[in-house]
Parts: sequence; C-alpha cells; structure tokens
Amino acid sequence: MSEQQITGQLASAASTEVMIEINQMNKWYGDFHVLKDIDLTVHKGERFVICGPSGSGKSTLIRCINALEEHQQGDIIVDGIKLGKNLKNLDHIRTEVGMVFQNFNLFPHLTILENLTLGPIWVRKMAKAEAIETAMMYLERVKIPEQADKYPGQMSGGQQQRVAIARSLCMSPKIMLFDEPTSALDPEMIKEVLDVMVELAETGMTMIVVTHEMGFAKTIADEVIFMDEGDIVERNKPVAFFENPEHERTQKFLSQIL
Amino acid sequence: MAIITKQKTADRPAPLSETSVLGWLQKNLFSSVFNTVLTLITIFIIYLTLSGVVVWGYLDATFVADKRRECYDNSLTGACWAGVIAWLDNIFYGRYPREEIWRIDFGGLLLVLWMLPLWLARVKGKILIGASVIIFYPFLAGYMFTGGDKGWFMQFMVAGAITAFIINMTNMLVGLLKNTSLDVFLMQLFGQADAGDKTQRNILLAMVAALFVVVFLWQASWNVTEVVWTKWGGLFLTLVISGIGIASSLPLGIFLALGRRSKLPVVRVLSTGFIEVFRSVPLITVLFMATTMFPLFMPEGFVLNKLVQVIIAVILFNACYMAEIVRAGLQAIPKGQFEGAHTIGLGYWGTMGLIIMPQALKHMIPNIVGNIIGLLKDTTLVSIIGLFDILGMLRSISKDVPWVGLHKEPLIFGAVLFFIICFSMSKYSRHLEVKLSAGDKH
Ligand SMILES: Nc1ncnc2c1ncn2[C@@H]1O[C@H](COP(=O)(O)OP(=O)(O)O)[C@@H](O)[C@H]1O
Ligand SMILES: [Mg+2]
Repeated sequence: MSEQQITGQLASAASTEVMIEINQMNKWYGDFHVLKDIDLTVHKGERFVICGPSGSGKSTLIRCINALEEHQQGDIIVDGIKLGKNLKNLDHIRTEVGMVFQNFNLFPHLTILENLTLGPIWVRKMAKAEAIETAMMYLERVKIPEQADKYPGQMSGGQQQRVAIARSLCMSPKIMLFDEPTSALDPEMIKEVLDVMVELAETGMTMIVVTHEMGFAKTIADEVIFMDEGDIVERNKPVAFFENPEHERTQKFLSQIL
Repeated sequence: MAIITKQKTADRPAPLSETSVLGWLQKNLFSSVFNTVLTLITIFIIYLTLSGVVVWGYLDATFVADKRRECYDNSLTGACWAGVIAWLDNIFYGRYPREEIWRIDFGGLLLVLWMLPLWLARVKGKILIGASVIIFYPFLAGYMFTGGDKGWFMQFMVAGAITAFIINMTNMLVGLLKNTSLDVFLMQLFGQADAGDKTQRNILLAMVAALFVVVFLWQASWNVTEVVWTKWGGLFLTLVISGIGIASSLPLGIFLALGRRSKLPVVRVLSTGFIEVFRSVPLITVLFMATTMFPLFMPEGFVLNKLVQVIIAVILFNACYMAEIVRAGLQAIPKGQFEGAHTIGLGYWGTMGLIIMPQALKHMIPNIVGNIIGLLKDTTLVSIIGLFDILGMLRSISKDVPWVGLHKEPLIFGAVLFFIICFSMSKYSRHLEVKLSAGDKH
C-alpha cells in the first residue's frame, strides 16, 4: 500500500434515483460458481468501493455491469435497462457506462487525442471539431493537455491511466467503473491517478471502484463492499468498515493489507 | 568507505575492433587460423563461380544475332542473349498487338501515378487514395487492356475512375505546393472556409458531380480497339493474374478469418471448411479443377473464359492462406484491446475496423509480403494449363525456329527478373515494418 495523504471525507452526492439494480444475480464460468446471489442497488451519485482477496469475483462483478461478461441468473438493470441477450440494449449500456482497467487498454496505434475522439466521433456521431474540443477539455482535467499528440507507448503508466479515464469521460457516461486502476502503477504514480479520481467524485459521478487503496476509499466511498469467494460478505460506511469490521473474513483480509 | 570515485569518469573512444573496417575484418574473418583458412576457401569458391558467370554471361556472350547458329559462330562457350533480346517484347507483353502495347505501359504508369501520393508525406487523405485505387483502378486498367465497346456499367466505372484520378492528382499537387488537402484548399479559394460542415460538403459534392459529368461525356466517345485475352501474355499476364489475386484475396481473406473466429456456428464451420479444403490441395490441382470441372457445374451455354477461371481459382486459393495469416495476426492482439473498444461503445465492425485490424495488419506485413511473393512465383503454374505467362513465353523461345533449343538463357533471364521483383518487395516490406513500428513502442 502506498501512503495516501488524502484525508477528509467527501460529502455524499447520492440521490434517490436508482442507477444500477442487481437482484439475486449468479454467474458461472463453466462449473465454477463465481458470483453468488449478488444484491446491490446503486443510486445516482453514489460511490462504492469494492475490495476483497484476489479471485473473489470483484472484476467479474463490475464486468457484468457493463456487459463485458454475461450473467446466467437474476437481473442486472442499468439506468432502467435490463441486461440480457438484446444487442440493442447492450450497445446502449456500453455508451452509458465507462470503464477503466488495470492495464489501461489504450489503443497503441492511435495518438492520445485520437484515443479520446474515436468514441465520440464514431459512436456518438459528434462533429470532429467538437470532439477535439471535448477531448482537450478532459485532458485538461486530467492535467496532461500537452501530451495530446503522443502515442500511449511514449507515456508513463500514471499518465496512460489518466488518459484512459479521460477517454471514458469523453463518452459522457452516467456511471464509471474502475477495476484496480492503480494496481499496475509504480508507487509514485498512484497519487496522480487517485487525485484525478477524487476530483471526478467531487463532480457527483456515480462510481464503483475496485481498489485496495484504503485512504482513497475513506475519502470518496459512500460504502465499502467486501467480497470473498463470490459472496458480498460485508458492506458498511468506510469508517465503520475499516475500524470495526464485523465478519471474521473481513477482519482477516484487512489485517493482511493494512 | 562510501565514496568510490570523486570525479565523473570521462568517456573514452571504443576499441578499434568496434569501429574500424580493419578491426571488423580481423574480428569476424581472421580471428584464428581455422577461421582464416575458411575465409580464404570461401573467397576462392566465390571467385570461381563469379568468374565463370562473368565469362559465360558477358565476356564470351553474344548480344547481336539473328539466329542461334550465329551465336555459335561467334562463340561456343558464351551465352546467346540475342535470343532473349529478340523476344523481349514477347517476354513482357505476350502476343499483345505491338501497336497497342502503349496501353499496357500507360496502364502501368497510371497505377504508379495513382499510388505515388501514398509515399509523399505532405499529401493528405492517404486512406481515401488507397481506397480509390482499389475500387476504381481495376476498371480503368481493365478497359485499357481489353478495349472494345463499353457497356453502360463500364462507361460509368471508367468515368468514375478518371474522375477519381483527376481529383487524386490535383490533391497531390495541392499537397506538395500548399501542404494542405484539396477540400480545404478549395474552400479557402472560394472563401467558404468558415461555412458549416454541411455547406462545405454540399459544395464539394456538387463539384465532384460536375467533374464526373464532364468526364462521362468526354469518355463516351473515347474507345480503344479490342484485344482478346488469348493475346495477353508474358510478364504482363503474370502481373495481371497475381495483381488481381493479391488485391482480392486480402479482403476476402480478412472476411474468412473473421468468419473462422465468428460466434455464429454456421459462419464458423463454413469458413473453416472452406479454408481447410483449399489449403490441403496444391494450387495446380485447383487450377485444373477450375478450368476443367468448373464449366461442368455451370448452366448450359454459360462460358467463362479460361483467364477468368484461372483468376477466380487463384483468388480463392490465396484467400485461404491470407485468412490464416490474418487469423494469426488477430490472435496476437490482446483481449484488452477488444474490451477497451467495447467500453467506448464500438460495435463489432467498429472494433475490428478501427482498433483490431489496423494493429493486426501491421504485425502481418512480413507474412503478407511473403505470401505476395509466393503468389507471384506460383502464378507461373498457369503456363502448365496453357496460358502464356512469363514462364510460358520464356519456354516458347526454344521452340521458335531461329532459336530452337535455346533453354538456358531465357530461364536465367526469367530467374534474374523474378529475383529483382521479389527481392525489392521483401526489402520494401522490411522498410515498412520499421517505419510503421516507429510510432508506438510498447
Ligand atoms: N474467463 C474466465 N474463465 C474462467 N474463470 C475465470 C475467468 N475469469 C475469471 N475467472 C475466475 O473467476 C474468479 C474471479 O475472478 P475475478 O473476478 O477476476 O477476481 P478478482 O477480480 O476479485 O481478483 C477467479 O477464480 C478466476 O480464476
Ligand atoms: Mg480483478
């Protein structure tokens, strides 16, 4: 863990409007039961942090939410649309839900600016000039406007991850998912990415973040969720979660990472 | 003791063995007695071979003669290049009427001019230029080579091709002189640079349409005489077959490869079956099948000429190899790229066309060029089924009365010609690889 200097809890931005609703959702990989009877409701502006041991199903859960993976039982309803086999719905969901990966997944053959404008131009059918303007605004926000003409391979990991965040934001998503966004980064770059994410939280974005950065979790999370072996074992307000974990599996996990 | 040295160590020049020619020679060729002996023996062998070649092929050779006898009268131990020289036109153009040969040269020149902008850094719109050459050039060239009456479709396509060519050339000039693209330049010229996207597009479309109409009216009265395909031959025919083969088999191969990776079982099984069948059969078999069996399946009275049959066979055969090259290239792209594309909302075709293929094609260049070279060489098989491609022409020289029995020289000439073409392609592909990978270092 890197020592984070982020302190002070952000005010909750949660409203009563439901953005994501997951009911009794189950997922298997072949015979392997990855997610078990998951129930979760996320309101507009609400921010969740998910933590748990490796292999507990955290990535799978958030990948199900933007339809990168199919679930087999139960319902996932995102922004009023039920995920299922309907491809039209899937296309819609993908543009509503932004996702940031551990390995950035930038497009190495395109410049940073092209990475950012591709979605708006080809999917949102935005005019090129407007797309560039939006892209530059977000690059400004993640503090690397001067890198617009570089290729991803020429940037540091922290910079690439900030570009990845900007790329998602360019699609004006309603929900942002983060899958261990700082795990692949050198310690000195973690803070620059977390700072950007805190600023994003301040704008009232609905966020689900898989991370083990406890300082960050305390700052932004409305609630922290602990997963183990496909179950949601415990969920609580961040302070209570870290200071008085109730379940013994949570206690064991926290004692390992803190 | 913490401090090892107080001063910065100054840079010193590298040892001689790393920088001088003599040093290199000593290190690589004469480092030991054994190595020295090997080097000397090798030099001797090279000398023997080369001197033999030079004496036979140049010093003792005959370049001017009317028949093989005269070559012998001149020298018994030298090559008889006179036969090759007398047949040069046939080797390059087959039995294409001599007074029409300019059409082939002109067609080739058009292709070079058309593609020229692709190599010029200042010219904009490379993707459009590339697309226009693939879509339009074949029709213009096809008409140049075949001639005869144009049907309404051919009229349309020829006019389209000429229009595209004119736009392309103007765009190249504007790029070279003004360093901008043609559309931007025109808008500035007419003071419309600040007009909305829609207005600009409409003005440009109107101009293209006007140009097309003018060209269409002009080309309607333009005709060249017909040259039937049986008169096509030589290197020209080889290049036509392999050129069409290459240009069509890459796109077809891409679709087959995508089909083979498809989630839809029917598409997957059909593509896989098609690929595996064609890959397990030698090209010559496919060629025989195409020319002898294909007509049996066709409705009565439906005759495809042999050249078209051969070209279709070559395309199908080669597309299967391309498909496997493309598939290997696709497999090299990490799953994260698909997921990245997914999260910005790109669908299947957007993901493939904008994200996956551009990266995969770059990895595939060496294999694709290898395949192109292979196809160019394999095309000589068509001489076996009676087309007079370059190999067919080279071998006919020995049956021509004045040059009867002249085998060696034509075949050596052909080999050198192929070597030059194939070697430059492979060199160029190396260059492309380096250039394309310069942008992104992972
Ligand atoms: N595509 C897959 N096929 C089969 N098993 C998978 C696949 N992806 C993940 N798993 C398994 O599912 C479990 C949960 O994975 P994941 O959601 O990535 O865990 P986490 O992100 O919490 O580390 C792990 O045991 C992993 O091995
Ligand atoms: Mg994970």
